[in-house]
Amino acid sequence: MNLISKLLPPSNIVLDLEVSSKKRMFEQAGLIFENNQGLARSLVFDSLFARERLGSTGLGQGVAIPHGRIKGLREAVAAFVRLATPVPFDSPDGKPVNLLFVLLVPEQATEQHLQILSELAQMFSDPDLREQFIQAQDAGALHQLISNWQPDVTDQHRAAV
Amino acid sequence: MKIIILGAGQVGTSVAESLVSEANDITVVDVDGPRLRLLQDRLDLRTVLGSAAHPPVLNSAGIEDADMLIAVTQSDEINLVACKVAAHQYNVPTRIARIRAPQYLANPQLFAPDCFAVDYAICPEQLITEYLVKLVKFPGALQVLEFADGRVSLVAVRAFEGGPLVGHQLQDIRKHIPNVDVRVAAIFRGDRPIVPEGTTVVEVGDEVFCLAASQNIRKVMQELRRMDKPAHRIMIAGGGNIGLRFARALERDYTVKILEHNKRRCEELSTQLSTALVLQGDVTDESLLEAENVDEMDLFVAVTNDDENNIMSCLLAKRMGARRVVALINRRSYVDLLQSGQIDIAISPAQATIGSLLAHVRRGDITEVHSLRRGAAEALEAVVHGDAASCRVVGRQLDQIELPKGTTIAALVRGEEVLMAHHDLVIQSGDHAIVFVTNKKMVPKVEKLFQVSAGFL
Repeated sequence: MNLISKLLPPSNIVLDLEVSSKKRMFEQAGLIFENNQGLARSLVFDSLFARERLGSTGLGQGVAIPHGRIKGLREAVAAFVRLATPVPFDSPDGKPVNLLFVLLVPEQATEQHLQILSELAQMFSDPDLREQFIQAQDAGALHQLISNWQPDVTDQHRAAV
Repeated sequence: MKIIILGAGQVGTSVAESLVSEANDITVVDVDGPRLRLLQDRLDLRTVLGSAAHPPVLNSAGIEDADMLIAVTQSDEINLVACKVAAHQYNVPTRIARIRAPQYLANPQLFAPDCFAVDYAICPEQLITEYLVKLVKFPGALQVLEFADGRVSLVAVRAFEGGPLVGHQLQDIRKHIPNVDVRVAAIFRGDRPIVPEGTTVVEVGDEVFCLAASQNIRKVMQELRRMDKPAHRIMIAGGGNIGLRFARALERDYTVKILEHNKRRCEELSTQLSTALVLQGDVTDESLLEAENVDEMDLFVAVTNDDENNIMSCLLAKRMGARRVVALINRRSYVDLLQSGQIDIAISPAQATIGSLLAHVRRGDITEVHSLRRGAAEALEAVVHGDAASCRVVGRQLDQIELPKGTTIAALVRGEEVLMAHHDLVIQSGDHAIVFVTNKKMVPKVEKLFQVSAGFL
């Protein structure tokens, strides 16, 4: 078991979502967390945008890991969104993004949360796995892929950057 | 980033110009079709014809996908309503409006999220007044700009014959003023930027940009030119918004005369001003200028709403003996033509405004942007975040940082402390870096440099 699958409820996996921009994507992320976790969507939206202003969370290769701190949140929670059409994301390689892992953490973020981001970067750096994410038929299959993935402990710190 | 600009006037056009090259998706909205067509011919952007605050117009401008709205139409009311609509109807994350009327600005609660939802209100008249007041306080400066809440100042001066540094190398500046740490951030010779090094020799006519802690800036100016006598007598041509603000800011400490041709406006001015002398008459009337002793003026500032009048009255005042003349000039071609000729300083309202707009548009945590040299160069203040792993400048010595060409980090502000750039200074998270970019094309690279990587929480 890895850290990632524990904080991703299967209901927070949305496949082939139609959005036309980063902004619309964040609105949809707000809706997911509002409907499933009862977080105010504006809070989620503002937090994700505020982080994005400091630098893009795009990893390259069509992947982004938008994240933000949420006041009053007790435990980290995540959503996985696969877009029908990629949207521009200011990624380092300039490519638009279609796989997004959205992570919300409590205001007092800990070492463990950094670890999660580092695991995410490592997971998405695998080209085969990315392809499987794109091919996955439904949310269940996708969640299974993430649960089965094993982090390489020695490689972890390097992958974060 | 997707940005919608409302209003294709001076400021709207300048902002569009400065952003269009930087991988942004720009849409400009205006009611003036021919003007939009001109803009579209020249720049790679989209235009939409229509009234800027109307939801259908905003819709066709793509507001549902917009990251930012910049409302700079002629009308304060349209700008306010557009921000409100953008916030409540379309959830646009950042909304900036130009607001002119002091009656609105005096009530900041109007801009609150539950009211008109303006994140940043920008007032050109206020910015220009501040600029002018600086010129009064620092005679001899072409421009004085502040960073880090006023802790650091950047001052532009023209080096001239007989100045102590002319003909010497920059490294000598330290010998002249041993107790003051100063950095020459850039030198412009003619239109060409020169990257300053210790061995660079300052020539007559050079425009020198110096950065120092604000309390040291006077000493630095003395070094660069003969210190001009402090200003006492100031004449303002034009009693509009700017003229009035400027007169108000000065009348307590200086002898101020203000010329205005409209009689009713004169009456209003005299009720709003206490010690400044209000004179009715034409600003280009030679006999009036003579009668009011224009030859004794330390500073003559022309701020009517007419470029030609400002230019003519400044030329006249200069010929009649005013020590320094400053003209407000809207048309950009005039500004280039006149600066550093007979007119000592030509101020473009659009240029004075655009910096404070850009500060909100720049990627990364940028708190201050000043557009310099008619937009060719930029000085900015970036807040450093992250650690050595997530940010490319943290934990590095200045000489280890690969800066884009023509870029210098001139100083760091750490808490209350101002640290001038030395090669072995190490950048920490939380520092404010003052960066000077002599080629605007490099700004996106500078933004990238200070941005945190995806792994930063």
